[in-house]
Amino acid sequence: MSDVRLVVQRFDPFRDEKPRLVEYAVPRREGMTVLDALLYARDYLDHSIGLRFSCRQASCGSCGMKINGRPRLACYTQVDELSTEKVLAQPMDNFAIIKDLVTDLESFFAKHRELTPHLVRADTQEVEHPTAEFLMSPEELERVLQFTYCIKCGLCTSSCPTVATDSKFPGPQAMAQAYRYTVDVRDEGGDLRLAALDDAHGIWRCHFAGSCSAVCPKGVDPALGIQLLKRHVMSGKAPRKQGEGAKVWSPPAQKQ
Amino acid sequence: MKESRLMLIQYATAVVAVVLVSVHLIMQGVIYPYSTAISFSNMLSVYRNGFYAIFLEALLVIVLVHGFNGVRIILHELRQSAPWTRWVDAGTVVAIVAAVAYGTRTIILAIFGGVAG
Repeated sequence: MSDVRLVVQRFDPFRDEKPRLVEYAVPRREGMTVLDALLYARDYLDHSIGLRFSCRQASCGSCGMKINGRPRLACYTQVDELSTEKVLAQPMDNFAIIKDLVTDLESFFAKHRELTPHLVRADTQEVEHPTAEFLMSPEELERVLQFTYCIKCGLCTSSCPTVATDSKFPGPQAMAQAYRYTVDVRDEGGDLRLAALDDAHGIWRCHFAGSCSAVCPKGVDPALGIQLLKRHVMSGKAPRKQGEGAKVWSPPAQKQ
Repeated sequence: MKESRLMLIQYATAVVAVVLVSVHLIMQGVIYPYSTAISFSNMLSVYRNGFYAIFLEALLVIVLVHGFNGVRIILHELRQSAPWTRWVDAGTVVAIVAAVAYGTRTIILAIFGGVAG
């Protein structure tokens, strides 16, 4: 088996004027992921390669990067599936580079937080000290389920053409999560999110390019969520107001 | 005005513009031969027909609102500072009012005189 020709974009903003490409020869093995190749290069060839990773199983979203020009998770991309002579690893677009393949996700998470990505309810006592479950049917769960698979890797945001030009645009991840909580029958905070999104740099700047959905490694369709959320923003009406969220439900006590 | 209202206007003017421009093109290219339709005397007679005058004024307003609102959206994506946003919004209103006034002036002059037929 020939070596993998791994090309890594190197850039240290404190030392380098511009990014440069460095090639490493990594011994190929069956089932090798791009993250495996990068870790080999870092461990045995160049200790200074900067990369972020954690779970190695597409659950944490830490190793998002551009591989052969497309945003992907390094741990979820096998070298052989790329079928190219070289494997080019670059940092995600639309994010500032901290070092090499490590990007700054601070604004990404800040935008996520701005859209209240959690259940908002009037009965805070029940939320903080639950006595039972909030009633939710399987159909109601199905409506939001795919959006709960988001691992906040940032790939959708790195592929979004609007994020590339509008620094105030919340981005597909934040807006898809805003949809996920707004249509959740247990939530009563839709008004907060709709007001935040109805802005000159808000949800209307999404032109439905669809690249966010195309690159999501978890099969989430953020573009769908955004289009569905536009309907609520246009009407100005959240699906539920305070006090209209799903009721508390206790399963009947089982007989001994 | 809320962005959602501005976008509603954008979508509504797009739909209406498709209808009005289609009718306009049919009138100019199908019902009348194109060479006749754009002759000066024919244009004057079109402007002096009450129905067409209202139709053309509506076309003018709808297309300008849609077009300038579209430019406003593009400019908002270009830069994001608060002063820029304010200037773009104000500039859009001024541009629409000025362009509608100039186009309306042409129609009024054609109808009420100032242009020899």
